[in-house]
Amino acid sequence: MRRTASLVLLACAVCCAALAPLLRWYAFPRLARVPAHQYQAMVLEARDATLLDYGTMRAKKVPKVTIVQTLKGNVEAARRIERTAGRPVVVWDSLSYVQGPDGKMVSKVPERYIFDAHGQDPVHATGEMVDGDPVRREGIEFKWPFLTRKRDYAYFDAQTRTTSPIHYRGTRTFRGLTVYRFEQTVPWTKVRMPKTMPVRGITPETVAGTGTTRWYSTVRRFWVEPVTGAPVYGEEIHREELRGGTLLGGRAKVTAFAGHVKMREDYIAHTVALVKHNRTLVLALTSYAPRGSLGLGLPLLALSLWLEARARRPRGPAPARPEEPAPVSA
Amino acid sequence: MRALIAAATGLALAFALVLAISALGRPSGRTSPEPLLTTVPAHP
Repeated sequence: MRRTASLVLLACAVCCAALAPLLRWYAFPRLARVPAHQYQAMVLEARDATLLDYGTMRAKKVPKVTIVQTLKGNVEAARRIERTAGRPVVVWDSLSYVQGPDGKMVSKVPERYIFDAHGQDPVHATGEMVDGDPVRREGIEFKWPFLTRKRDYAYFDAQTRTTSPIHYRGTRTFRGLTVYRFEQTVPWTKVRMPKTMPVRGITPETVAGTGTTRWYSTVRRFWVEPVTGAPVYGEEIHREELRGGTLLGGRAKVTAFAGHVKMREDYIAHTVALVKHNRTLVLALTSYAPRGSLGLGLPLLALSLWLEARARRPRGPAPARPEEPAPVSA
Repeated sequence: MRALIAAATGLALAFALVLAISALGRPSGRTSPEPLLTTVPAHP
């Protein structure tokens, strides 16, 4: 009976011990993935910003500029790309819609971002674009990989269509979460005019015809929760200028937009709550379950060995039985 | 020999369990019918 129990315990111990690495290195990359059908909106605001008045072509102070950023997972496109990519893929169709204080559109830039659902590496496929222009992204955008490390990452900048490092700037606590701070500075760079201009009748081609060019510079900062790789807060010191050409009436440059863009408070609270929930799920796969099963496996193994040792222990001599008297034959 | 069989059974059970969990995966779902926003939403 003891031997059977020790064998059952041994099987359980091996099962638990094997589960620990299998969960961490086999199940985790297959289960921790960005859902392909995710739909997410984010609102950012720049208070007391500077915005170009296209009527007068002069910069003016405005109380608020709002940026609405939507990310929509395109499941059908992801499935189609997965067939050739041979790995789980997420396709995000996004729109950055900028709205002035009067509610009118300032700019809108659509993007298609295709990436590996677990590792966050960009996947290159037809349709990858920024504002209708085909691009080939290197590095990450919007989200960091699961189990983010304290190092610099390559980050894609949609305005310049280039990738440059986003630097790790330290660790801090943000609303009860440990976060890594990342910062990227994009120096003044000549960028394309958005395909959709705020004034009807003006197109990027007509602006280009005047010789006026658009320049952009930004400092972007993200507070990233390292287990999920999700930014819980982001801000950008964003500046845009129009330079040269006949459109500016002899001036060398005019500010098209300047502002300190920050996430709106209700969206910060929502994102933090969501990330806290998802963080627990990721930790269950990477830490709680593997450590728990390993912690259970070792005592089970010890118990099994103990039972086995007791079953093998030699027993003492059996008590002597009184001898029966031999039959006497007469 | 019996100990070896017991250990192999435990290992097989662990593999079966993890393979089953991984095979379940995550539901891929459907593309949201919600449009890409061109208005400022009130709350998330």
